[in-house]
Amino acid sequence: MRARPGVLPPDAAAPADGDAASALLRRAGRGDQQAFAELYDVLSPLVHGVVLKVVRDPAQAEEVTQEVFVELWRTATRFDGSKGSARAWASTLAHRRAVDRVRSEQASRERQQRDAAAAIRDHDMVVDEVEAGLDQARVRRALDRLSELQREAVELAYFGGHTYRDVAVLLGVAEGTVKSRIRDGMIRLRDELGGEA
Amino acid sequence: MSDVDIHHLAAAYVLDALDPRERDEFETHYGACDVCRDDVVAFRRTLAEVAAAVAVPPPAAMKERVLAEIATTRQLSPRVAATADVVPLAGRRRVGTWLSVAAAVVLLAGIVTVLGLARRTSTSYADELAKVMEQDDATVTSLAPADGVQGTFRVAWSEHLGTAVLIGEGLPAAPAGTAYELWWFPQPDATDSPDSPNADGRLAMYVLDAAGDGNVHHVLDLPADPAAWAITLEPEGGAAVTTGDVIFIGAVA
Repeated sequence: MRARPGVLPPDAAAPADGDAASALLRRAGRGDQQAFAELYDVLSPLVHGVVLKVVRDPAQAEEVTQEVFVELWRTATRFDGSKGSARAWASTLAHRRAVDRVRSEQASRERQQRDAAAAIRDHDMVVDEVEAGLDQARVRRALDRLSELQREAVELAYFGGHTYRDVAVLLGVAEGTVKSRIRDGMIRLRDELGGEA
Repeated sequence: MSDVDIHHLAAAYVLDALDPRERDEFETHYGACDVCRDDVVAFRRTLAEVAAAVAVPPPAAMKERVLAEIATTRQLSPRVAATADVVPLAGRRRVGTWLSVAAAVVLLAGIVTVLGLARRTSTSYADELAKVMEQDDATVTSLAPADGVQGTFRVAWSEHLGTAVLIGEGLPAAPAGTAYELWWFPQPDATDSPDSPNADGRLAMYVLDAAGDGNVHHVLDLPADPAAWAITLEPEGGAAVTTGDVIFIGAVA
């Protein structure tokens, strides 16, 4: 019995996204370091911005951003544009690595003993920083169209790097409520900002 | 978790807001669910827009550090067509009761270890495995690793229960951006294309915990009449047909 080869030979993978970053990532996948340098110029503010929002500590954020780019390089050989653009993949990777970093930190600090006051300060700080940091009117408008609970839940998860269970504690609402607000909020954001193929 | 619930986890998943157990469950599910895969792709595109709104250039010196590091970092091999051969089966053979008792005794040590691990991870997994092993038609297939591959995979299942349990242990973390994916091969007489697994032959995707404890424990609905099981490494989003080398494979004895 012989397993059938994949449907997507490396070069035939027709890019669903025709964007420059994806083209650069495909070239980087063939070992082109110059293309990767150009990709770095295009994507590094996006990656570092996300990492910095979640990690907060500038020195640690730099470490994580660097890790993300090395990982992008290592996995560039397997980039598949039909599953999303290079921008989407880079921001996914950035968020995941940033969250890995803050959660492993938290685990080592016995997060079970988090006190409520700190949690509330944390929450306010995240929301304030996010509001202040949004320099794209379109995204700010889209976030403004969410209900308050939807927006807080999405922002605490994405920028705060919290699990939805933590978000429920921070907002003082049931976990099920947070789950559905996150879903409703993301659907609304998707409709406002695009995201459909 | 009900089917409806799991479809609703795509948003929390892309926000990395699930706990590890739920994330594993969702990844298991969405690899085989077109609706959820579309949701994940669309939500990720949305989040890239949100991310762009908080963009901050890193310090200028980082670029040189990154370029220096990638210059000495090997890239993953691109996906390669799988070429592992499976010994074809003459026909379906059901393991008799007597044999399965003997097999259960031989397997006992392994199963005890598995149960010990399971209690720390997921009680439903341990319960399901125990239920499967109580059945007269319980079957366990150990998948043979390819040369140089670490770890073990076994599949325990019962047709009577319609349940299969995947047990992976001692596994290295899947390379970044990839995931272990389980496939089943239908019986030669049960399909029009007996020589290859196809999209329907794909079961699901299982991603190791990022914490990397090296264990994968999942309970699955048993596909009809499996002839063989195989594990490949695939891009994290899952693949509709095998693209990676078969790294573990086992035919049903």
